[in-house]
Amino acid sequence: MLSFVPWGKFLSASLIGSGKLIDQKVVIDANPVYGPAAGATVNVNDMTTFPPNSHWVITYPSSGNSTQDFENPDTFVKFELIRLPADLGGNAASASAFVAFSKVCVHLWCSPNYGGSQNQNPPVNREDYECPCHGSIYEVPDGKAKAGPASEQPPPDNAIPMLTLQAGSDGTLYIKAPQSGTLTDIQQNGIIGVGRVESGMDNKVTDPTNPLYSSYYQFILPTAKQTYQASETTTG
Amino acid sequence: MAQPPSPPPKRNLISKLYHWVVDGLERTVYRGVQYTFPKRFVSPMGYLGMLTGIVFLVLGVTGGLLMIFYQPTLTGCGTLTCAFSSVQRINDVIPYGYLIRNIHYTASNAMVLLAVLHMYYQYFSGRFKIKNEILWVTGIILGVITGVEAYSGYDLIFNQRAGLAIEIGSSLANASPLIGSALRIAIFGSGFTDFILRLYAAHVFILPMIMILLVFIHFPRYLVFDLPVISAVVGGILIIAGIFPVQLSTPYSPSNPTLTIPEWYLTGIYALLRTEYDKFVMGGLMPALLFLMALVIPFVDTSKKLNWKDRPFFTALGITSIAQILVTTAWGFYINPNLSLPTLSRLLVPPADYFASMIGITLVCFVMTYAFLGYIKSRERVRKAAGPLGPILSRSWVYVIFVLLIVAQIALDFLAVVAYSGGFYSMTLFDSGSVLVTFGVIAHLYRYGQNLPF
Repeated sequence: MLSFVPWGKFLSASLIGSGKLIDQKVVIDANPVYGPAAGATVNVNDMTTFPPNSHWVITYPSSGNSTQDFENPDTFVKFELIRLPADLGGNAASASAFVAFSKVCVHLWCSPNYGGSQNQNPPVNREDYECPCHGSIYEVPDGKAKAGPASEQPPPDNAIPMLTLQAGSDGTLYIKAPQSGTLTDIQQNGIIGVGRVESGMDNKVTDPTNPLYSSYYQFILPTAKQTYQASETTTG
Repeated sequence: MAQPPSPPPKRNLISKLYHWVVDGLERTVYRGVQYTFPKRFVSPMGYLGMLTGIVFLVLGVTGGLLMIFYQPTLTGCGTLTCAFSSVQRINDVIPYGYLIRNIHYTASNAMVLLAVLHMYYQYFSGRFKIKNEILWVTGIILGVITGVEAYSGYDLIFNQRAGLAIEIGSSLANASPLIGSALRIAIFGSGFTDFILRLYAAHVFILPMIMILLVFIHFPRYLVFDLPVISAVVGGILIIAGIFPVQLSTPYSPSNPTLTIPEWYLTGIYALLRTEYDKFVMGGLMPALLFLMALVIPFVDTSKKLNWKDRPFFTALGITSIAQILVTTAWGFYINPNLSLPTLSRLLVPPADYFASMIGITLVCFVMTYAFLGYIKSRERVRKAAGPLGPILSRSWVYVIFVLLIVAQIALDFLAVVAYSGGFYSMTLFDSGSVLVTFGVIAHLYRYGQNLPF
């Protein structure tokens, strides 16, 4: 399909940057509304600065300076770090108490927030990841859209991309770099603005034996197809 | 009896220069157009297109001035993006920047509104028919480009609303089948690094150039220049800019969770997207359907009848489209204010309610239009033509009002200067607008006085 001319590369600059992604410490963006957490390095043992049922914005890949990261408005490098509420295991002193969702909604690329249209910690009433533009709601902690327009979309467009988190021996939280070195693997961390294949999810359309597969990837998601095939060849 | 030849009129230097220039334009496009300067008041409905063009000129001049200080980049300006901080600087620091920016913003809204009114007047009066098909088609394309121009303009500020509009626009482009990602990259570039420069290039050069080229096709050969109405419209823009100055809003931040409603000409699409059907169908195909319907109208409505009363089906269709657009736009503005509800239930436009109301509106509009047209047809048979109105003012009253208006204009000029030096910039806008409106009234009074029989 139209492969004789690189249409997708028309006058384009790089979307994600050319560098390979590496493991990175989780540092909160220096947003003044975060109080003591602003600019702080996340430690899973620190329950006072990073209490359960709270959320902050982080940048990956980071510039190395949390103030510069806060000033960078590019949603495609922004992630929402959520310390889960206690009933979902937020009290655990391990990486499993945290999730990091992309700030780019897979519906129309607005920025969802934990706890609805609220900036305070902990949020009042709601413990979902909600988009303020058209109301998509993502399930915490797995990031699958459970209501709203994103949930109506076929997979993989109905799960929000997320980062893999890991705690060091001293409790410092790390982002584990994706295997492919870029956030373009639909089955691992997902493709930002496109979606992610959630394990145990209805993977009908992403199954190459499904007759819908070729038409779906040719007409709806040509970019995802390329990266999907690329990840297949590198991993297997 | 032969009249003695009248002596050639005496011309001073300015008059000679004027006639030399006008004669020199003989072979240019400007003399191919027949200009009319009405001697008495005529309804502006007939020349709304010319008014749209005048507002386009206002936008060109103010936009050119804004270009001097606007910076279409994101990084390198400290804590805020260059785009936002340069607009902030224009608004707060640059002399007259506040006035220019507000005039530009209000004029952009006025241009969208005038273009829509112009289209509907041409539609109902049947002027788009019979040899005017090309004018109509280029007009529809011009209208769409006007909308895109307004959208790209309000994105350049890069406040919260602009950031969300860019994200939604680029992901909608991305959602188009087959060419989606190519289209998105061609229009917006790859993410935040280059989109603002692209939108800027489109806003200040590419789209205006296309508009100017299309206007050469769209211009009819007759143009009405009504100075009083032109100055009243431009003055009205300044007055509205003074009363409702545009806010800077907060700079765009992905961590800002507030609900933001787009500009009024996009809330219709916003309401459609909130029905939660497929984004490309609701955000792309539905507006495209409206656009295509408008494009093909002159090739469907091919009867020789021009008057809206003689074309009940197409009159009803036009009224239906107005009602549907108004209801959809109003629905886009409505968000349930109850903050304790989930965002989704605050935002959801229930599709069953929405489409049922659209079908209901269609039925009501068709039934009412046919009933109303039947009623006025029966009335027309017994109605008598009203005689022409006599003059309302005598010449001496015209003199009195003329002097009063000039005094008022001088006072308003003075007030505008005082308000500016006092820092009341919105007041300056309001006063300057009032000066222009007063000038329009003076110009109208002048021609009124010239036509008085006594």
